[in-house]
Amino acid sequence: MIKNVRPILLAMLFLAVGVILQAQNGITFNKYKTNSEVQKALTELQLKSPSRTTMHKIAESPGGEPIYVLEIGKELKNVPAIFVGANFEGKTPLSTEGALYLAKMLLDSANYTRKVKWMILALPNPDATVGYSSTVQWERSVNDASVNDDKDDQLNEDGPDDLNGDGWITKVRAEDPEGTYIISGKDSRIMVKADPAKGERGKYKLYPEGLDNDGDGEINEDGPGGINVGINFPHLFKTNAKETGLWPGESPEAYGTMNFIFSHPEIAMVYTLGTSDYCLAPPRGGRKGGTNMESLKVPARFASRIGADPDKTYTMTEVVEMFKAAMPSRGGREMNAETVSDFLGLGAAVNPLEDDLKFYTDFSDKYKSYLKAKGGSTDRIAGDPDKDGSFELWAYYHLGVPSFSMNLFTPPKPAADQKPREAGAREAGAREAGAREMGARESASRSSEADDTEKNILAYIDNKLKGTGFVKWQPYTHPTLGKVEIGGIAPFVTSTPPATQIDSLCKIQLPWLLQLSKKLPDIQLMKEVVTDLGAGVYRLEMYVENKGILPYPTAMGAKNKQPAPVVVVLEGENLEILEGYKRTPMGDIGGNQVKKLTWTIKTDKKLIKAHIESPLFDATIKQIKIGG
Amino acid sequence: MKIFFTWLAICLLTFAVVAENKAKIEVPLRFDRYYTYDDVVEALKLLHSTYPLMTKLDIVGKSEEGREIYALTINNSKTGEALSKPGVYVDGNIHGNEIQAGEVCLYFANLLLTKYGENEKITKVVDKNVYYIIPVVNVDGRYHFFADAQTSSSDRSIRIPKDDDRDGLLDEDAPDDLDGDGNICMMRIKDPLGDYKSDPEDSRLMIPLKPGEKGEWTTLGSEGIDNDNDGKINEDGEGYFDGNRNWGYDWQPPYVQNGAGNFPLVALGVKAIANYIHQRPNIIVNFAFHNSGGMWLRAPSIKEERLDQRDVAIYDLIGKNAIKMTPGYVYQPSYDLYDTFGDTDSHMFNLEGSYTFVGELFMRSQETYRDNINKPLTPASDADASTSRRGGNPEENRELIKFNDNLGLNELYKPWKSYKHPTYGDIEIGGWVKMSSRLPHPFMLPELAHRNAMVVLYAAEQTPEISMEIFEVKEIGKNLHQVRVRLKNAKGLPSMSFKSMSSKLYTQDMLKVTGVKVVSSGRITDLRMNKVSYQEHKPEIIYMSVPSYGFSEFQFLVEGKGDVTVSYSSRKAGSLLKTVKL
Repeated sequence: MIKNVRPILLAMLFLAVGVILQAQNGITFNKYKTNSEVQKALTELQLKSPSRTTMHKIAESPGGEPIYVLEIGKELKNVPAIFVGANFEGKTPLSTEGALYLAKMLLDSANYTRKVKWMILALPNPDATVGYSSTVQWERSVNDASVNDDKDDQLNEDGPDDLNGDGWITKVRAEDPEGTYIISGKDSRIMVKADPAKGERGKYKLYPEGLDNDGDGEINEDGPGGINVGINFPHLFKTNAKETGLWPGESPEAYGTMNFIFSHPEIAMVYTLGTSDYCLAPPRGGRKGGTNMESLKVPARFASRIGADPDKTYTMTEVVEMFKAAMPSRGGREMNAETVSDFLGLGAAVNPLEDDLKFYTDFSDKYKSYLKAKGGSTDRIAGDPDKDGSFELWAYYHLGVPSFSMNLFTPPKPAADQKPREAGAREAGAREAGAREMGARESASRSSEADDTEKNILAYIDNKLKGTGFVKWQPYTHPTLGKVEIGGIAPFVTSTPPATQIDSLCKIQLPWLLQLSKKLPDIQLMKEVVTDLGAGVYRLEMYVENKGILPYPTAMGAKNKQPAPVVVVLEGENLEILEGYKRTPMGDIGGNQVKKLTWTIKTDKKLIKAHIESPLFDATIKQIKIGG
Repeated sequence: MKIFFTWLAICLLTFAVVAENKAKIEVPLRFDRYYTYDDVVEALKLLHSTYPLMTKLDIVGKSEEGREIYALTINNSKTGEALSKPGVYVDGNIHGNEIQAGEVCLYFANLLLTKYGENEKITKVVDKNVYYIIPVVNVDGRYHFFADAQTSSSDRSIRIPKDDDRDGLLDEDAPDDLDGDGNICMMRIKDPLGDYKSDPEDSRLMIPLKPGEKGEWTTLGSEGIDNDNDGKINEDGEGYFDGNRNWGYDWQPPYVQNGAGNFPLVALGVKAIANYIHQRPNIIVNFAFHNSGGMWLRAPSIKEERLDQRDVAIYDLIGKNAIKMTPGYVYQPSYDLYDTFGDTDSHMFNLEGSYTFVGELFMRSQETYRDNINKPLTPASDADASTSRRGGNPEENRELIKFNDNLGLNELYKPWKSYKHPTYGDIEIGGWVKMSSRLPHPFMLPELAHRNAMVVLYAAEQTPEISMEIFEVKEIGKNLHQVRVRLKNAKGLPSMSFKSMSSKLYTQDMLKVTGVKVVSSGRITDLRMNKVSYQEHKPEIIYMSVPSYGFSEFQFLVEGKGDVTVSYSSRKAGSLLKTVKL
């Protein structure tokens, strides 16, 4: 279905083939790598530092491609790990380059691997990358799973077709009495929805570039492949939606990723390189649903048992107390917020918790200043927001760790002096002025955001790409649609800048992720106070500090109880603990906070020992002097 | 730990004795005792070797502890390949302790194979369908239910440890078999401030105090000690990981639903079975057996979800019949019990398009000791009713213990015996044993197995039986013919669920014309009024389905001469071919 046509204009994207950026580790960033080149780069990184790195094969894609995680800092024990996942949708090759670049930075300098290890998943959706690497480019995000998208008698029978042979799958516009699109007055290259309220009537229908290969009246409705790995994770997973898979983790790529992460409880933070950007702006909230823990209703069947009023609302703490009073547990399951949530059937969190938004907001402010200082731009077109079922959502909501995503590139918004070159723009300006004259100020200012975005993309194409990236609408005779025009913004233009920019984009932005690694929680035994109560009995007060900026766990982690507990362990010869226990889970601790634990002990020895037990934190044994 | 080893020694000794006494496994299988995991495997192998042409024995996958999960396929290849027939799937024992579910599966397999060719009803139903039977899903759980000391409700879990008490240790404080009798019973302590007193009618039982009465006992939960010295007893046992909350449809994480597992299909057996079923798209009806309570549950699993009334009608056909075949059982949507996420029935119904029932086997009220079972027991007094959740209706308990004495061979209840507990001091251990409460006594097992297996058989009889008729061939122009086709379903299950159609789960049934050029085609919406709803594209294929006990009619306008072949093919209802000459 994809005609093998030489991409004439493609070469324009690789203007700088000659610029070889020879890096210390032998990996170069002068072109976007193919699957096998990514694997080769990972192997090279691994072989250059065999004592510090190891490769984990975590899955194999339906297309038969191996999927690797490169672990950096394998020699470190009892330190937190940061997991970096890139390009889950398989159509942002820059993010894969970013992951490799980050790996290279980590191996070139020891600054960020002293007390933290890294796990780098550069390419979790290799099957989809054919959309970029093949001679005809289209934005493909699905793996090779067999999915019959249109539920007919054939599989993958109606994918995109490069009708005009330019190497890109763009758009087809066809005049149609039922069409809803018109050519924008602001820029004749842009198609906009007609607004009947403004006296406009649709003239065109828009289709993706392709044929109705299977004669069912639809165009490109069943292309190659099946599941978009980037929306196959469990949080807010969409059932029966396009490209999501039947269930979360149906794709071996997502399943393998989750399996790997859950077998490494030391993972304390997750970075995602892709389209959303939690570094620039905190994860969005405002979704409907979720439960307000401050205002709970107790269903009648429980209310009568615990003495609650089914018509009143209670806080979670109140409900837990009522359950505790009514259902005393001797041994058995304890009544706490978790068990009560279970009883009441409270659902999942759908919005970021307020306490977590504090650090997200703080860091995003700092990131903006950081970018400014580095000469990076914050005034750019927004990337796609986090998608339901995405990896970054899952990391925050299900793992309960800080989840930061970064979009390494979207086109900049044009500076005031750089307007799109097309003459249409001037006409549009004139028409807008006319509209104002007619007193229709409101409707004129209500120009759609999508329209503006496209305008900005065109300005970028005009000013930075010298026009390459927009295919001029050209007539074409389509076998089923008749006389049409093919054109539009080329695939990958908005996500994938010329390869010459990989190095500078990474160099400016990625160090922020290194800096963020310094914010990780760092829990240590700080100091102790021993009070002699007489008769060999002592009170031991232990101060435990979190020297990091980030809390442990996040508020979400405290809610989902997924992060590994931190336990303070007391040991000693002839040590009898009169009050408290040998192993004390220390619960949640905020960033830069200190928590005091207290025991009453009895011993005839002069020394006892204490240490922290956790897969993330230093387990050094602390000797504690008792008595004189 | 020490206790565990003493117990292990005793257990191994008893095991040796039991092994000698145990009846040899022969076909036809007997159901007057419970099968261990090894027995189930032996029985499946024997069924397969006795009926090598009718059966296939597959290893679906392996569990966390490396045990094999077996599936027995029963198919008469003389009546067609397995995938060409409607599939009837039965499994059980996804919760390790719910062992009689395995017996129901074995009973069903045994019934189909031993009565084939002998009983007409069985012969017919075997010939029309293929059967996939997985008697034990949670193979580790079944193994440990027999091998280890348990309560009747413990050991549900998949063998993936979880730090329930969040102290950094995994499954370190499970109940302990303190008296080494192979059961986890209850602990109680003499306590004048306690909530219970001995039942004056039967000193083995306790009843909750009435206001003003003096206490005698405080209950201390399941047999166990504080293994990890954290001041809590039995707070971090096996798992907890519920295989039946780990399926893919509408899965929710453990903080929303305890036991969900870290992500969907993380349990090896659940994943293996999900794949096994996914590779058998012909499966049209599923049964998953559990215990207990006497229930037939169906989708949806959460209250907010709505089911198409036409699908409810199909479920009702089987469910309302099932409750008559298993008197006392109720038939209801799964959410009526409570909301669950990631369970079998919703996964199979929504993602595999198969009408699925969860059978909750056994009701304790069937353990009767009464002159007239139609006469209810003395109703609990008001005071009893208010405290009934603590001790149950005393009348019921008295009947249950007399059932144990007179019919249960004293095998269901352990009289209280004193024990020196490391934390509590002088206590007593006793109460209902592992093989009680949720399991029928073996003498009742054959009837339970038969009645429930017959419900599966009833559903198997209801799988679609589609016939095709070319009921009109009319020349309507030069070289132009009108060909009309009728598809009829003689049975209650439609060829495709309404949910599968509305969610576009998979390709619908196809009616295809070959041999001539098809000019146009469509569904006949009103035959008498000659109304046809034409389809715009690809007239040679019509996507359709055949309803429950009903029919669908279609029309093709064809150009040409000679043989016209009309083929019907369905994922779950087989395929048909008819040729007519123009």
